[in-house]
Amino acid sequence: MMNDRSRAEEDLRVIRTLMERATIYRAISAPTALVGGVLSILSAVFIHLSNQSQSLIGRPIRPREFVFIWIDVLILTVVMNALFVWREARSSGRPFISPGMKLALRGIAPNLIVPAIFTLWFLKIGFLGAVELELVVIWVVFYGLALLSTALFAPRSLAILGWAFLLTGVSVPVIANAVEGLPDNVPTMVMGLTFGLYHLIYAACTWSRKRDAGEQPVDE
Amino acid sequence: MDFEKLDKIIHEKWRLAIMALLASRRGWSFQELKGELKMSDGNLITHLRTLHKLGLVSVTKEMRGRPQTSYALTAKGRTAFRDHVAVLEQIVKQWKRK
Repeated sequence: MMNDRSRAEEDLRVIRTLMERATIYRAISAPTALVGGVLSILSAVFIHLSNQSQSLIGRPIRPREFVFIWIDVLILTVVMNALFVWREARSSGRPFISPGMKLALRGIAPNLIVPAIFTLWFLKIGFLGAVELELVVIWVVFYGLALLSTALFAPRSLAILGWAFLLTGVSVPVIANAVEGLPDNVPTMVMGLTFGLYHLIYAACTWSRKRDAGEQPVDE
Repeated sequence: MDFEKLDKIIHEKWRLAIMALLASRRGWSFQELKGELKMSDGNLITHLRTLHKLGLVSVTKEMRGRPQTSYALTAKGRTAFRDHVAVLEQIVKQWKRK
């Protein structure tokens, strides 16, 4: 009887593990995080140096240029991500738009509406009011919320990344109000810290597991 | 309640694993199943044929650039899998009550 019970428990454990693993989807792979992280750090350094010494392009980065630089980073990262997903789908025989991806996109999409509208407003008239920090806070907070919207079927590491973005985003206005005389480059620093450093840490933490699992979605 | 009550066809390590994956979502390609279970082509196809012959698994062949075969649980397969898990749970519960 004891033997039957152990076997039944083991069978149930195997079934549960397989079913959970099959439904887990990692919206951001380690290579995508690495590309996004490196591009963000490089962009933040470029903006910082341009504003500090004006030696790179001979003048500070203008508010709308600031936005276009980060939109370029976003586009490049999304294109690279599509390439990684396509390569993985081809080698494993999975469809490019997998059920997991559809589920993740359905969760993420509503969180992109506010940052998209705010960015358009900024490009049209908002840039006149020097509100880069507000724009950056919106980007960081809603990116964190987008990641957290996949938490039910994402590995734990992705939810932690989402929380890191969200908490950093909401703490920036608090710190900005509390500390007098913050430097002008705070928006750039926040972008470099979150989209740069956080993604690099995430890539480093998940890279070895990706290799062990042969890029299969894994639970962490 | 003991292991005698379990369906011998389903209660085989690999077939149970295949059915667990097929129960998790609709439509798995052969390559996906192979990648997830780390099984050889021959072993996987043998078990899938067994399950298909019993009407537990459906097979769909389509062209997506190249021919692709995908597998899913039939209604009968889903019920059989659910019943199987229920029996396993009962075995565990029964022992806990004692």
